[in-house]
Amino acid sequence: MATTTGRPPLWRDVRVLAWTFQIAVVLVVVAIVFWLLDNLRVNSQRLNIPTGFGHLDQPSSFPIPGSDFRQTQPVRDALVEGFQNTLRLAITGIALATVAGVLIGIARLSQNFIVRSAARAYVEFVRNVPLFCLLFVMYGAVVLNAFPRVADSWDVGPVAIVNVRGASTFWFEGGNWKFVVALLSAGIVAFLVARWRSRIADRTGTPGRTGLWALPTAAVVLVVVWIVLGLGATAPEIDGARVTGGITMTPEYFAALAALVIYTSSHVAEIVRGSIQAVPRGQGEAANALALSGFQRLWHVVLPQAMRIGVPPIGNQYLNLAKNSSLAAAISFPELTKVTQLTVANRSPAVPSFALLLGIYLVLSLVISLFVNLANRRLAIVER
Amino acid sequence: MRRTFIRGLVPLAALSLVAGACSDTGDEGGEPAPSGSGAAPTTGGTDDTGTTPGSVATGSTPTTAEEVQTGESLLDTVSAADVVRCGVRDDLPGFSSLDDAGEHVGFDADFCRVIAAAVLGDATKVEFVDLETDARFTALQSGEIDVLVRNTTWTASRDGIEGATFLHPTYYDGQQMMVAADAGFESIDDMDGAVVCVAGGTTSEGNVATEFARRDLTVEVQSFEDVDLLQEAFIAGRCDGWSSDGSQLVGLRSSFPDGPDALVIFDDIFSKEPLTPAVRDNDTRWAQAVEWAIYATIQAEEYGITQANVGDMAAGDNAAIVQFLGGENADGVTLDAGLGLDPAFAMNVVSQVGNYGEIFERNLTDLGLERGLNALWGDGGLQYAPPYR
Repeated sequence: MATTTGRPPLWRDVRVLAWTFQIAVVLVVVAIVFWLLDNLRVNSQRLNIPTGFGHLDQPSSFPIPGSDFRQTQPVRDALVEGFQNTLRLAITGIALATVAGVLIGIARLSQNFIVRSAARAYVEFVRNVPLFCLLFVMYGAVVLNAFPRVADSWDVGPVAIVNVRGASTFWFEGGNWKFVVALLSAGIVAFLVARWRSRIADRTGTPGRTGLWALPTAAVVLVVVWIVLGLGATAPEIDGARVTGGITMTPEYFAALAALVIYTSSHVAEIVRGSIQAVPRGQGEAANALALSGFQRLWHVVLPQAMRIGVPPIGNQYLNLAKNSSLAAAISFPELTKVTQLTVANRSPAVPSFALLLGIYLVLSLVISLFVNLANRRLAIVER
Repeated sequence: MRRTFIRGLVPLAALSLVAGACSDTGDEGGEPAPSGSGAAPTTGGTDDTGTTPGSVATGSTPTTAEEVQTGESLLDTVSAADVVRCGVRDDLPGFSSLDDAGEHVGFDADFCRVIAAAVLGDATKVEFVDLETDARFTALQSGEIDVLVRNTTWTASRDGIEGATFLHPTYYDGQQMMVAADAGFESIDDMDGAVVCVAGGTTSEGNVATEFARRDLTVEVQSFEDVDLLQEAFIAGRCDGWSSDGSQLVGLRSSFPDGPDALVIFDDIFSKEPLTPAVRDNDTRWAQAVEWAIYATIQAEEYGITQANVGDMAAGDNAAIVQFLGGENADGVTLDAGLGLDPAFAMNVVSQVGNYGEIFERNLTDLGLERGLNALWGDGGLQYAPPYR
């Protein structure tokens, strides 16, 4: 007890103990991982199960509905096709869930009793039902039982033909790149017109009416480019027992998209409601004092500030939606998970296949996070 | 919901391969004996110790390698556990479905009982494990089941890649097409551009696509994991055709809500589907035991031994039959074929479950299936057992 001021012995030194403990934990974790991986390798070897990714170049042996993918193409192409379907579901789902969520979130705060109650009922019901059940209800009850057979299709000329095999509408015909060129040129023109109008508005103080100017111009440009490039159009037709022409949305895609949007929008709505309520009351009152209309108050004053609060949690909902899209496998929509299941059922080894599946979802989630973070940075208050 | 839950277990089951080595140790009671069936290369041991980093990992590696080399046969494991874990399904009438009491009944379920009767002497010592189509091989590989009797087609790549060893086909089947009787199709040739629904995770998808391509027709193949959902989609008009193995279609048609007459099965058989029980690779003793349990049913039918007369036959004077049933011959000697089975295993099989013909008739004849290729070889079929001597 002579050295009361010196360092304590090693086994009582908090820093040494902390470090030792942390190193020990890391070692144990690493050892367990190595042990598991080694068992995997040894067991796979014992059972003659391949552990590499050679299966990606084997023929897939199954076709994918709703695409041109043939059973003679390699597994690699099947996974690409499945990933595209996942993206279709995720991107469209995120866009629709955002729009629906914001509208419902605003409706939750409406002064109109009926609107407010309906929005509240929707949110409370949907938010408290498992997504999986929603998916089965959409497919089993709504699509399979409420949609007519092909012979009794709901037929609205070339605009839409809807039956249990899918919903068809008219679509362009010709090269894909021409279609992209037409869309791009219309989009660029719309952007330029909108910028020009808003500059005029800034300079003169007269209302810009950007939308009123940009959208019709874009439509005209689209039609002109369409004709110049020689793009055709195809309309759906009922041909005996099937629908030909046009573009068709499969019922599985519809059911999956609807379930994902309904489910996620209820969560987005709650975030939007909370974010709007988090904006100081004085902001709305100030907008009223300036005699802004209800829409202007929301659009120019309240929502921009609310979004600053709402973007990070809404980003989480986007991640959830992208990952939840894998549930569509249960109703046979051929997205990435379903395609992986099919490849595993057709000879591909399970462990590498599912490892690859996890890796792809990880990358997809990280990319979505990246976009959300970028949006967040743009919206954050710039401190000077 | 439960079946979907099981499908969710696929990745888990895949990961449980990882833990496979541990569960092996748990079941092994006896001395590790050098076994001819353990096919792990002897060099595996040196590789392991050489490449494994970390002190803790090296501690566990020799155990793993040792188990690979001296791994005991499932035959011992199953005997010790006193139960056969048999991978089946619960939704295919005739082959394996649940009766009102929740018991598994059907052709495949009975062959699980045949294996239990042969190995354990008691046909009731079966633990039925219901599997989704795409979970079945993973379940077999990971050791979740001892034997897979789930109307599974024997193919080259399943033999090679899935780590399964296929035994004797219990049912020679072929894929066919079923359509609604009022759909106006006379044959597959009328079905250009049709949508065909199949049960996913099987050889059916590829077979349909290949057959339509061969006939120069276009087709869209929609696959479902769940047969009930498939049937709902078919009834709703989501698809024109329903394709599967002929035996399955007959079973499904028999339980169709609108009655069997609402459906027509085309005669064309466009694939070979030998439905065959399978065990894990590299376990010859277990494979042989299961294989001879199956052969016993065929041999019994050939000898004319039935559940009713097996007692008389065993006490009869046909030396070959007495030997087959494990009785003493005229000189008081009993044949033990060295399969690791009770010499009287065939007796147990036939008295508790029945011969091949009885099992077929009990489960499949009422559905409208005929023996066809599954008749005994003497009757022009393919069912043939090697001699028991």
